[in-house]
Amino acid sequence: MRGTSGDGAAEPELGLSLSDVGEYAVISVTGEIDMYTAPKLREAVRQLSSEGRMRVAIDLTPTEFCDSTGLGVLIGARRRLSDSGGSLVVVCANPRIRKLLDLTGLDKVLDVRETVPGE
Amino acid sequence: MNGSRHDRTGGRTEAVTVQFAFTPAAAYVRAARLVAADVAAHAGVATGLLDEVRQAVGEACTRAVLRHRDRGIDDLVRVEFSIGDRFVAKITDNAQDLRARPSGRIGASIGGGESRTGDRDTLEEDTLSEEITLIVLGGLVEDLVVTGPDANGGTTVSMSWPLPGSGSAADH
Repeated sequence: MRGTSGDGAAEPELGLSLSDVGEYAVISVTGEIDMYTAPKLREAVRQLSSEGRMRVAIDLTPTEFCDSTGLGVLIGARRRLSDSGGSLVVVCANPRIRKLLDLTGLDKVLDVRETVPGE
Repeated sequence: MNGSRHDRTGGRTEAVTVQFAFTPAAAYVRAARLVAADVAAHAGVATGLLDEVRQAVGEACTRAVLRHRDRGIDDLVRVEFSIGDRFVAKITDNAQDLRARPSGRIGASIGGGESRTGDRDTLEEDTLSEEITLIVLGGLVEDLVVTGPDANGGTTVSMSWPLPGSGSAADH
């Protein structure tokens, strides 16, 4: 997603690609996750769960930037999937985002891995 | 946006300030954090700290936008960068109460299925975001001060980073 808003300001870029690895539906995220783009990721997870895909992996390894809004999406996704008997795996070999997960303590709450399970 | 001259070849001949304000909308947070990183780079902030500046200013602007949005305030979010002994970033909102109370780490309040007041869904994303921004800022920025609400309304997130030759570079 790249474009301009009505006044010509550059919009953040967020790319989502879906794949299947083992029993996981994998969302690979490129670009920047912030409060402007996060709803797109949130909706992607909701869409998968509405299709009955309850094992979801969000791959942040190729993500260029993630802020606290993105972390909020991860927390929300974990809650929704867990409540429905599913699970969320956060795949992240990206040191910048790993640092963010670490300093917030989310590395202890979320299931953070280097690769998608079964890969 | 306005600024004043900065002599990059020698001493700083005068204080440099860059100020701007933006409509409290998510679309403009990116612009603010990119400007922050660019101004910091021009100021001489170490390359290794520029990601931190970008992230921190983005978090502070996100917090300000959330505070305005939650309270239905259309006032502009104000951003100021100043270059003196250190590179200083100040992000000011116009929301008069300090709602979020940073509790250290998000994991401490989320892990183990601990229940908090209200419906669990209300804890998601937006509701948590103001608190998360402060937790991220607290973990990320060594020199962080949140002040207010003051008489004019609003709170200010002030952060600073060392500049070469300022004598404070050893802080990091």
